Amino acid sequence: MTTSTASIDVREVSKWYGSVVAVNDVTFQVRPGITGLLGPNGAGKTTILHMIAGLASVSKGQIEVLGEPVRGNVALYSRIGVMSEHEATYSFFTGRQLVEFSAKLQGVGDVKAHVDWAIDMVNLEDAQHRPLGTYSRGMRQRMRLAATMVHDPEVLILDEPLNGTDPRQRLEFQDLMRKMAADGKTILISSHILEEVETLADTILLVVSGKLAAAGDFRAIREKLDERPFQVRIVASDPRALAAGLMRLPEVGSVTVDPDGSLIVLSGNVAILQRSVAMLAKNESIRLYRVVPLDESLESVFSYVVAR
Amino acid sequence: MGAVFGLSLRQMIGKRRMIIIVLLAALPVALAVLLDMFARGDGDFNENFISTIVDALIVAVVLPLVVMTLATAAFGNELEDRTLNVLVLKPVSRLSIVVPKLLGSIIVTGPVLVAAGVAVTAIALGGGGARALLATAAALSTGVIVYAAVFTWAGLISSRSLGFALVYVFLWEGLVTSFLSGARYLSVRGYTLGILHGLDEETFTPLAGRVIELPAAIVGAALVTIVFFVLTVRRLQRMDIQ
Repeated sequence: MTTSTASIDVREVSKWYGSVVAVNDVTFQVRPGITGLLGPNGAGKTTILHMIAGLASVSKGQIEVLGEPVRGNVALYSRIGVMSEHEATYSFFTGRQLVEFSAKLQGVGDVKAHVDWAIDMVNLEDAQHRPLGTYSRGMRQRMRLAATMVHDPEVLILDEPLNGTDPRQRLEFQDLMRKMAADGKTILISSHILEEVETLADTILLVVSGKLAAAGDFRAIREKLDERPFQVRIVASDPRALAAGLMRLPEVGSVTVDPDGSLIVLSGNVAILQRSVAMLAKNESIRLYRVVPLDESLESVFSYVVAR
Repeated sequence: MGAVFGLSLRQMIGKRRMIIIVLLAALPVALAVLLDMFARGDGDFNENFISTIVDALIVAVVLPLVVMTLATAAFGNELEDRTLNVLVLKPVSRLSIVVPKLLGSIIVTGPVLVAAGVAVTAIALGGGGARALLATAAALSTGVIVYAAVFTWAGLISSRSLGFALVYVFLWEGLVTSFLSGARYLSVRGYTLGILHGLDEETFTPLAGRVIELPAAIVGAALVTIVFFVLTVRRLQRMDIQ
């Protein structure tokens, strides 16, 4: 497959439940490599992934995966792997049994070899014979990933795969995804955490309120996000002295003192502000108790992008 | 199909569920033993025994309750635990998922119910009566299969299938078919009793006034099983899965 070929083709797709529109006229293509489907909780990411996976019907529009319609086309599942957001699995299975079960249903030739390979890929050889019910969330996610990719699919669709994983597991997961992408696989990963996708995906699809708000190169979209002003609340031992110092910083737009004594700082660049505040506090011998972004939530970030 | 069958058995054979099933099936046997000990000499013992224990208890209550307990859970548990996507996202036909689920319910409940029914009939007859025992086994096996098809579908349709199934069993199978003879042609209880009586009219004479003809019972049971089996496969093909 050449990189110009779309592995997933979503055309003018809408999905509604009664009078509620969950996804509204979405069109995009996903090519080999890693694509992040990004959006706040409730934006419609899971509904989109479910339609792509054939778990849900489309109310309008068309979806093709690897050039074929997916809904009702069970043979296609031997070429794609889907890991749902729900972490529930058959807890009476051991990790290995889950992967074996998946391999058998996938009809792979050498079940043992495929299972060994998949478990090795997620680095869970030591825990493979333990019941899934005894796994931590992160371990369970990794074993579910092994079961999802045991048949070495061309397309991987992963809904919030990093839920419950610790930083080390995230790094391992990212390495694994990059390796698979380098092998020509198409990987579509959803997340509501900006940084998760930022470090992983080459391309992002930004979904807000069931609509595709932005699509394309991550850096361009991120720059757009960085330009917006952020509000930060700072609680310090000497707020007035800190406020005076902050007003001299070029990255600070305004500073107001709340009745409770904390400072509300408006800044165009939070990353620089964080460093400057620390430096300023150290130079002025002011103690910083709390530095809290007030609108860091994805909802506000996405709203900003959409509003522009 | 073997992998899904093995999974279904593991899901169904839970300790608590098996205890409920065995206790339910043991109830008519225990009652039959008591009646045999204390009421054997009564003049209408045989008639009362067949009407009360075989029809009113085994066929009308224990059979549907036992099958319901397992068959509604065949897909019901998958939906509740949100694990159904693990099965449907594989290159296997929906038929290959429904068949093992259905077989699982039949294989786990069938032997328990047939053993209880045959034991009760044997107690009623004071041993012997191979034809009556075979009729009991055939009739209850049919009942298990038809109910399994109906309740497997119900488990896929609603998360509250157990409640709906209970209402259906007690209202339709228990009450309506007792009073409306025509309703017996659309009743699993009617098919079960029809086969029981049709295969051994002599032993099960007390049922004569309230059963449908043997051919109608066989055709009805086959039709209902096929219809609900097809409905289950179609539902699995068309439903949105969370």
